[in-house]
Amino acid sequence: MKKLATVFLTLVLTACSSQGSATTEGEHLNFACYKYSDSIDPIVNVNSSWCGIRYGVTECLFKFDEQVIAKPNLCYKAEHSDDYVTWKIYIKDDIYFSNGNQVTASSVVNSIERLYKETDASQGGKGNSNPEGYLIYKSIEADDANGVVTIVCQNPTTNMMGILAYPYFAIVDTTADEIIGTGPYKIDHDNVGISMELSRNEHYRTEVPFDTITVIYIEDSSTKSMALQSGDISVAENITSAEAIAELEQQPEKYNISTTAGIRTGNSYINFNTELGHDALRKAVMMAIDSKTMCEVTVGGMYTSGISVLPSSLAYNYDKLHTQYEYDKDEAIKMLDDANIIDTDGDGFRELDGENIDLNYIVYTSRNLNDFAQAIALQLAEIGIKVTVNIRDYDTALALQNAGEFDLITANTLTVGVGDPQDYLGNWYSKNAVNYGYYESAAYDELYEKLMIEPDINKRVDIITDMQQILIDDAATIVHGYYNSRMFSRVDDILKADISPIDYYWITTDILPRGVN
Amino acid sequence: MRRGRDIILIVLLLSIIGVSIFAPFIVPFDPNEAVLVNANQPPDNIHWFGTDKMGRDVFSRVIYGARTSLASTAILVTVVFVVGGTLGIIAGYVGGKTDAIIMRISDMMVSFPGMALAIAMAGMLGPSIINAIIAIAMVTWTKYARLSRSLVLKIRNMDYIKAARLCGSSHLKIMIVHLIPAVLPTLIITVVTDMGGMMLELAGFSFLGLGANASSIEWGYMLNEGRYAMMAYPWLMLAPGGAIFITVMMFNFLGDGLRDRLDPKWRR
Repeated sequence: MKKLATVFLTLVLTACSSQGSATTEGEHLNFACYKYSDSIDPIVNVNSSWCGIRYGVTECLFKFDEQVIAKPNLCYKAEHSDDYVTWKIYIKDDIYFSNGNQVTASSVVNSIERLYKETDASQGGKGNSNPEGYLIYKSIEADDANGVVTIVCQNPTTNMMGILAYPYFAIVDTTADEIIGTGPYKIDHDNVGISMELSRNEHYRTEVPFDTITVIYIEDSSTKSMALQSGDISVAENITSAEAIAELEQQPEKYNISTTAGIRTGNSYINFNTELGHDALRKAVMMAIDSKTMCEVTVGGMYTSGISVLPSSLAYNYDKLHTQYEYDKDEAIKMLDDANIIDTDGDGFRELDGENIDLNYIVYTSRNLNDFAQAIALQLAEIGIKVTVNIRDYDTALALQNAGEFDLITANTLTVGVGDPQDYLGNWYSKNAVNYGYYESAAYDELYEKLMIEPDINKRVDIITDMQQILIDDAATIVHGYYNSRMFSRVDDILKADISPIDYYWITTDILPRGVN
Repeated sequence: MRRGRDIILIVLLLSIIGVSIFAPFIVPFDPNEAVLVNANQPPDNIHWFGTDKMGRDVFSRVIYGARTSLASTAILVTVVFVVGGTLGIIAGYVGGKTDAIIMRISDMMVSFPGMALAIAMAGMLGPSIINAIIAIAMVTWTKYARLSRSLVLKIRNMDYIKAARLCGSSHLKIMIVHLIPAVLPTLIITVVTDMGGMMLELAGFSFLGLGANASSIEWGYMLNEGRYAMMAYPWLMLAPGGAIFITVMMFNFLGDGLRDRLDPKWRR
């Protein structure tokens, strides 16, 4: 009986231990990250397109390097006409999709045409991606004999290489039913919402270090940190708890932390259609916020503080910018008093035109944004401005943002997603659908329109510098700081798990198992 | 022995209520005063329970948190007690279709998990302590309705009820004069015994981000705020956790004591 029980117990334990674990043959990586999308199809939305690249399944014709300069990836060169309207992209002849089909000029054209068709509602497209926000072309043609794709743009397009490096333009095999990319890994199985099983793309042009990868979705930073320490995962992206990071930093012999200067800006959009459209109130709000302490203490150095919407690490003349709204609580109070924004009913909070001010601050809990919102609410309470912080999930926050149902709303955005901040700066262009805060400035609009057609790099920088200064002077948005992206890995398992400045490159062939040189 | 324990419990209860009422006079700091540079300070002579991520005094927040936690629990138990008790008495006394309708609604509500309802409400209306109270109340009142109904069913055909009817007493008067006094002791024992559980449930909802939000001071939400640094700054969880533990334990003991005194079955 005892023996029977032992056998039974052994069987049960064996069954349990084998359940859920990935194959142990060959090199395997457990990679933990936040789940941004259930899909990796570039047509679905921004997040899905990013996920395809992030998991190493899809790739673009161009790829950004460490200096955020787009370099040929699936192609070997690009040529343009003098007016930047016509571009010729030369496709490499040794690129294959993970199903073995060769990438030709036609398959590139088909992939790009699919993107536009499937995101065009008038053609029955259901995708939410917005490629037209970056590129509108008159024609696109394939010359398979010479491996050339010719794109004729509607307008001069100087940043074509950067645009084609953006995940929307990931090249997929349109002959397949599922998403087949050219990346080093392919999808074996998708446990929706839990994990994704990947395996080596046998047709990849260079050596692929891991046989299999499990992408495990973990939202909570503490959980990621504990999973890394227990060995359940070997690489983690985006641990945002300063305490967890400090704990890992104390053990450099066990954990490698790769950090890169942030090109993401954390900010809060201000809704100019609400009481915050009042200049004195908005400017007093700016002066009441101690961004430096929030960045250094409240979020434990996860962000670098700054005054502009574009990070100080980028070459857009940050040093030439200046603000008149440095942190000065007393001055903020005086400004409100002078503007007759005072507390008349004795509840401790000020009123504007007889109405109580109660700012509706919409927040989602990504990259410490909730910490910033809470700290700002407390600081504004000190000058008599009531703020109600409403934490929402990401999708709800986006819906509220699009509907304009907020006074303040947090955001964390990659500012140079296509290697250039034009798209990001469009968030304050009054004629743009993504002008979330309904900000209006004739001077800013004029500069933005100039920027859209200016091909000269130096002149673009000058225009962008002036645009930044206008936003600062108008107190157009609350800049929290510039997020420092990080990648965490176990020293005993992994080599070269480095974070890229462009954070849609996570799983690449650069990440190696220890023991591989 | 039992008397001594009851006195201690009542003193404790009054102390906690007193603390929540007189919080402004007790706390050394404004619980919302954020000194950002003083974030995550360990307990010392100035900040007895340390400071949190925003540099706020945790002791002051725990004291103020008693207000929210006690008040929200009191509102919750009052709602389920009154709504559940009243509907149960009506169902039991009136019977027929009224009884069937109330009991079927009760069946529907009891089959609905409170957590799912709270998540749905937080999604639609946003997380708030009021929404959490509504979500818990919607699935908890049924217990009181069933209890009071069963108690009423036992006595509704008794001679003294019939006599009251014959004497011309209205239904309302019968319910107020005869039925409510009969069911009240059992309902009171149940509600006091449940208070600890309800407080835990509310704290749990806030901990999960479905109840109190960042603007309010509540023990469950404080636990949530402290969770991120459980290992590095344990006082952020120990202080509100201890407060919840003491209060819930006190309610549980009080419920037991009350049951010992009021419930004839336990008295024997």
